[in-house]
Amino acid sequence: MNYQQVVQLHRFTKQASLRSATVLFFAAMLLVVVLPRGAVASGGVALPKQNWSFAGMFGQFDNAALKRGAQVAIQACMTCHSLKYIKFDQLRQFGYTEIEVKALAESQGRTKKDALLSGMDANAAKDAFGVVPPDLSLITKARKGYEDYTFAILTGYASANDLALATRVMADDKISDEEAKEVASALGLDMHHLDKMAEVLKRMAAGENFNRYFPGHFFAMPQPLSDGAVAYTDGTENSKIQLARDVVTFLAWAGEPTMMERKSLGVKVLLYLFVLTIMMYAVKRRIWARVH
Amino acid sequence: MSKIMEWVDARLPVTELLKSQATEYPTPKNLNYWWNFGSLALFVLIIMIASGLFLAMHYKADANQSFDVVEHIMRDVNFGWLLRYMHANGASFFFMVVYIHILRGMYYGSYRKPREILWWFGIILFFMMMATAFMGYVLPWGQMSYWGAAVITNLMSAIPVVGEDLVVWIWGGFSVGDPTLNRFFALHFLLPLVIFGVVILHLWALHAVHSNNPVGIDLHDEKDSIPFHPYYTIKDLYGMGVFLIIFCAFVFYAPNFFLEPDNYIPANPMQTPPHIVPEWYFLPFYAILRSIDFLGSFSKLAGVIAMGGAIAILFILPFLDRSPVRSFRYRPLSKQLFWMFVADCFVLGWVGYNPADAAIFEGALPLIVIGRTCTALYFSYFFLLWVITAFDIEKHTPVPKSI
Ligand code: HEC
Ligand code: HEM
Repeated sequence: MNYQQVVQLHRFTKQASLRSATVLFFAAMLLVVVLPRGAVASGGVALPKQNWSFAGMFGQFDNAALKRGAQVAIQACMTCHSLKYIKFDQLRQFGYTEIEVKALAESQGRTKKDALLSGMDANAAKDAFGVVPPDLSLITKARKGYEDYTFAILTGYASANDLALATRVMADDKISDEEAKEVASALGLDMHHLDKMAEVLKRMAAGENFNRYFPGHFFAMPQPLSDGAVAYTDGTENSKIQLARDVVTFLAWAGEPTMMERKSLGVKVLLYLFVLTIMMYAVKRRIWARVH
Repeated sequence: MSKIMEWVDARLPVTELLKSQATEYPTPKNLNYWWNFGSLALFVLIIMIASGLFLAMHYKADANQSFDVVEHIMRDVNFGWLLRYMHANGASFFFMVVYIHILRGMYYGSYRKPREILWWFGIILFFMMMATAFMGYVLPWGQMSYWGAAVITNLMSAIPVVGEDLVVWIWGGFSVGDPTLNRFFALHFLLPLVIFGVVILHLWALHAVHSNNPVGIDLHDEKDSIPFHPYYTIKDLYGMGVFLIIFCAFVFYAPNFFLEPDNYIPANPMQTPPHIVPEWYFLPFYAILRSIDFLGSFSKLAGVIAMGGAIAILFILPFLDRSPVRSFRYRPLSKQLFWMFVADCFVLGWVGYNPADAAIFEGALPLIVIGRTCTALYFSYFFLLWVITAFDIEKHTPVPKSI
């Protein structure tokens, strides 16, 4: 090899080694970013993504939805759940009048200064369900999947058709390939684990609360919402889906009543910082021009 | 004004100190943007101390109240949500900045002679930061606070003879509880101020030997250095602007990105969460801890030693690296090792994030195997760096004579 070739080879190996190291680095990054959820999901079913009006940088709470959602929470959830960080009076923040708030509070045997506490005491709940229903003030922030999860839970119960399917499939105590496919698509169960599927179907047929999205599928909360369960006064259709959307919107607000304040302040802070930083960059260029 | 300064200077030479250590302090003119991360770290420390101080005015350390009090700060205190989100995200950003700062030092050989003491103060700072962040995370008293504290303090029980008693002493009882929370708050308040003191030592050591630079050679020529002010004051300010934009984007628009949902569930000693994960910045070390599981009853102790050793080994890095050249720019093999090390840390982090018994490829490859391999690779970096430099295996490319 002559000198030229040595230099070339050297340059080539240098580039190649740098390139391979860089590729390795980005491959590792990719692994870290892509794999966590997909590969090792612990039995949880992928949650359908929802569009929430309050999501994103410029997202806003829809006051009408909040009002409806508060009504759903009070009438359909508070039998069992509390929202201890919210007081009835705070509901005025999205459009309830003082009189309406008073009426809502009185319907629960409370005054407007009281927190949204369930009438059910912890011991009674424990006797009835085996667990104390969790406080809902922070529920959307306290589960992976956030609002999407809560919405999925509320809408993920087995339908009458699903129950009929469970009974039908388990009638002969075994699951054919055909049936496995049907069950997998209807209930989101893994068709590769037939013994697990059989157990789930048996428990469904025995009347336990199946939920597609709850990790482990069975939990103590009986289906809380159904079509028409709460009577709306603003003419909105009160389907189960709509009730769930509204109550989740309300729960998201309850989890962080300062969210809109945060987002609106954020726009101002970021705009200010952008301008300031661009100016500092210009000054930096100017000063450093003397050195370069 | 100048009269007053004269009077002061005659008694305490403030002007001289500012001149020699700040405004006219000579700095290499070729520092790149990776050199911004030191001043950024100090900036984040100040953000943490300021936001922490105001949080502490509202916070109560009490097993029955802390969770509610943090929610009270979020909901009722004016801009309390801002304080808390700044503080919680600040911890994550602090680690990001410091990790980059450390890796910068490793890449450009800033730990090499004559900067060993400077480097050691840095590692001490890193240890203290980890302790501070760990105890801070306990304060909101959520499920992860509680169980994270339980898992990590429990590690002390691996220490032979005194371990069990030590854990009880740390807890102030027979489990993590109210006394633990109280002392963690006291220490969490104190440690950042100690950190501040060590930062001053760190800077003292820096100013005694001056900054390294991307070329990694000592400066001989007067014209190679420029006064800190205005060149690096403006460059650092610009860096802080960029930092603040990214930081505020998280604080205002994704404040829970780095927080674990489980920590919005109040601590419950009777109910272990299905999957206990530390904060992301501990994950690589957590993975190293868990990867030592093959030594029977010694596994726990060995894991703890490996975890501590993973950081402590940085102390001897100045003596392991024997290359005649500091900067990895001119060291092809070291450079390659370095990037593998960085990649390895990411993979370790990912392993630490997942449950210990998880596997990929349909169960064919248990994560614990990846964890063990990556732990070996982690320590191999230090060993191989020594091998290639001590035995002259690495041929460095030409190093410029001046910058
Ligand atoms: C009949 C009583 C009852 C009613 C009414 C009720 N829940 Fe529940 N809920 C429970 C119980 C009991 C649990 C605890 C379940 C468990 O952990 O097994 C629970 C748990 C939950 C959870 C937590 C699930 C999880 O991931 O741990 C959410 C979310 C929830 N309820 C939302 C609601 C909403 C929203 C409403 C009103 C639309 C509602 N619940 C009405 C009894 C009820
Ligand atoms: C080295 C700097 C610091 C680091 C890395 C740090 C880290 C943390 C972390 C990770 C938390 C938990 C955040 C959460 O999930 O809510 C926390 C909470 C807290 N810290 Fe700090 N902290 C630092 C400095 C300080 C200082 C100087 C003070 C007081 C003077 C302080 C006071 C508090 C208080 C009161 C809380 C509990 C409130 C809360 O959870 O938000 N911190 N800290």
